Amino acid sequence: MAIRQRALSLKGLALAAIVGAGVLAMLGPSWAAEEFGKVPALKAKAAAAELGKRLFFDKRLSGDAALSCASCHVPEKGFSDGLALSEAYPGSKGFRNTPTLINSAHKAAWFHDGRLGTNLNDVTREMITETYLMNMDMRLMQERLKQDPVYVDLFKKAGYGEPSNGGVRNAIPEYLKTLVSRGAPFDEGKMSESAKRGFALFKGKAGCAQCHGGPRFTDDKPHNLGVPENTKIFVDPLRHVTFVTFAKFMGVKNYMNIRRDVGAHVRTHKADGSDVGTFMTPTLRELNYTSPYMHNGVIQTLADVVAFYNNGGGSDPNKDAALKPLGLTTQEQIDLVAFLEALSGEALTGPDFVWQDKIPTEYEPIENWLETSN
Amino acid sequence: MEIGRKTTFVIAASTIGLALLASAARAEMKPPALAALGPPPVPADNPQTPEKIELGKMLFFDPRLGGDASTACSSCHEQAQGWGFSDDLSRGYPATVHWRNSQTVVNSAYLGKLFWAGAAKSLENQAPSAARGAVAGNGENDMMEARLAFIPEYRKRFKQVFGDEWPRISQAWAAIAAFERTLIHNDTPFDKYMRGDENALDDQQKRGLELFQGKAKCVTCHNGALLTDEKYYNIGVPRAPRWEEDGLAQVTFRFEQYAKGATEKMYRTIKDDAGLYYRTKEQRDMGKFRTAPLRYTLYTAPYMHNGALWDLREVVEFYNAGGGENEFATNKSKLIEPLGLSDQEIEDLVAFLSSLSGPEIEIEQPTLPDYAPLPATTN
Repeated sequence: MAIRQRALSLKGLALAAIVGAGVLAMLGPSWAAEEFGKVPALKAKAAAAELGKRLFFDKRLSGDAALSCASCHVPEKGFSDGLALSEAYPGSKGFRNTPTLINSAHKAAWFHDGRLGTNLNDVTREMITETYLMNMDMRLMQERLKQDPVYVDLFKKAGYGEPSNGGVRNAIPEYLKTLVSRGAPFDEGKMSESAKRGFALFKGKAGCAQCHGGPRFTDDKPHNLGVPENTKIFVDPLRHVTFVTFAKFMGVKNYMNIRRDVGAHVRTHKADGSDVGTFMTPTLRELNYTSPYMHNGVIQTLADVVAFYNNGGGSDPNKDAALKPLGLTTQEQIDLVAFLEALSGEALTGPDFVWQDKIPTEYEPIENWLETSN
Repeated sequence: MEIGRKTTFVIAASTIGLALLASAARAEMKPPALAALGPPPVPADNPQTPEKIELGKMLFFDPRLGGDASTACSSCHEQAQGWGFSDDLSRGYPATVHWRNSQTVVNSAYLGKLFWAGAAKSLENQAPSAARGAVAGNGENDMMEARLAFIPEYRKRFKQVFGDEWPRISQAWAAIAAFERTLIHNDTPFDKYMRGDENALDDQQKRGLELFQGKAKCVTCHNGALLTDEKYYNIGVPRAPRWEEDGLAQVTFRFEQYAKGATEKMYRTIKDDAGLYYRTKEQRDMGKFRTAPLRYTLYTAPYMHNGALWDLREVVEFYNAGGGENEFATNKSKLIEPLGLSDQEIEDLVAFLSSLSGPEIEIEQPTLPDYAPLPATTN
């Protein structure tokens, strides 16, 4: 029922110009023009990043060796997976859209609900050990790595000593530092006229920049847009099971009965529930590679995303007041899409970013085991 | 009653204490007499009911009580493999191998100490450890509990048995324990004989029984109705050969040292399973394992905590040779000495051991119920 109310359509297009410029003046941060710059490159320790790269593509980092980080964060898809809702550890299915990892090293809080606000070291641990993600006992992982001479060598070169859990949690973030946007038409001064008009709308009439500012085009804060629930979560038992497991662990009340993703409420737990349904503003970088969109993948194309905002977002009692119908013309919407498309850069798919050698799935025995220190 | 007997036992053991090991005192010790096995004890807080047993049976075979929904209790306790696993080391979770032999579930209902080094004291506590261990089930409580809630047949059955609206994971372990208490083997030829049926054992088996209680001294530890004193000994079982040859087994070997809290020095140098030590952290417990019960062993090869011995004759020959050698030699039980058994006597003992097994326990595997969506309207 609630879903139908929030159904997407372009009908709102007919609703005319209650224009955003005034809204802009009243609400939200205003970003200085110079803040829409290139995403700064990050200095990564080369040897550690090289180790992190191999770990990222190694399925032995999951409990039953079925998944690597790259199983869901696929380089060709902008380090997301192209699915509305992510896959998950075998025996489970996910209930959110896999976010891109490009520029993730610039973030201050991770996951769509921002529930980890420390560092990528913790995020790495969370991804590897969480039961519906990689379900790995890191003590066992450490011993798997110690069994592989390539890792023994790479850990040493990275200055981490012998393979260890701590080393993994440091090396993968070093690798992620290498995944920074580059070469987008926006950055290279190669935008089309349409995209340029879109940028003006972005900062002006469409009000996008209220939240999508800075080099990554995000304020890194949670907002409620009234994005419709992805009902697949609650009709597919495997997804719903994962949702319940998560919600129970996060201390969400009434977790067996709720049928909506509470978003950043798991972080802020406001008693009045006004934070329910807020999600972290995503980056707008690399969108050409990362459809579908939104925290639950309910919107397929950038044109539909723009139409969604033009309608004033979806329907939700806690919807952010910044969202109002925008009254964009069809051409204006096309221009906005052209601008968004100009925010995607080079595919990070070459050997700098993707481990090239075959990674073994089995373990060679250690020779002279009896005489070798464990 | 069971509790009382065990308590007496503990008091007796601690009173006698170290004197037990002194050879003079040893001769005077009269071990509890061999006896037929009665019904298993049932804990007062987990009574047997037909509905609970049936639910437990389904759960025992249900791989959703494990990490990736591929590994059930029955994966390592297969009824066609003696309700254990017929390899030296248990198969373990996918992409792993275990580091110890999988023990039979049959008659586990009688044991006060589960796992090879007694890490669990009840079936209710054994099941979750197995379901959650990284090289066993690798499951996680919240996930496994949530899965149960999305299986309507289980919701109905859990509510019927335990009364709660939603299945709880602890109830799953209780139900599995109830099912395991039905896998009972107490009417073997040996049991019949002890109950007075003179013809239940043939002459060779009777000679074996004599040796078991006499010259071979098996009864020193394998005594009472269960044929185990449930104490811990190092009998010199050699290390598992796979640790020297198999990379995957080496991974698990180190993981276990790490996970069980070995000191760093020990982690670096140890090349064997220190058994009871991991629980007590006492040097004197290195290499000790709980005396195994002997019923149903006809179906549970290979034997010993790491499956080092492949048939019952090998086991008897092992004892006849005075046990073996491992790196915990200083802890090797003084009870283990060369026995000087003749070939015929060895055959007789093996024949007697086979009388501790009756027909194989076979059950019809339950059909497992499916997941279904959980509509909001049914809450």
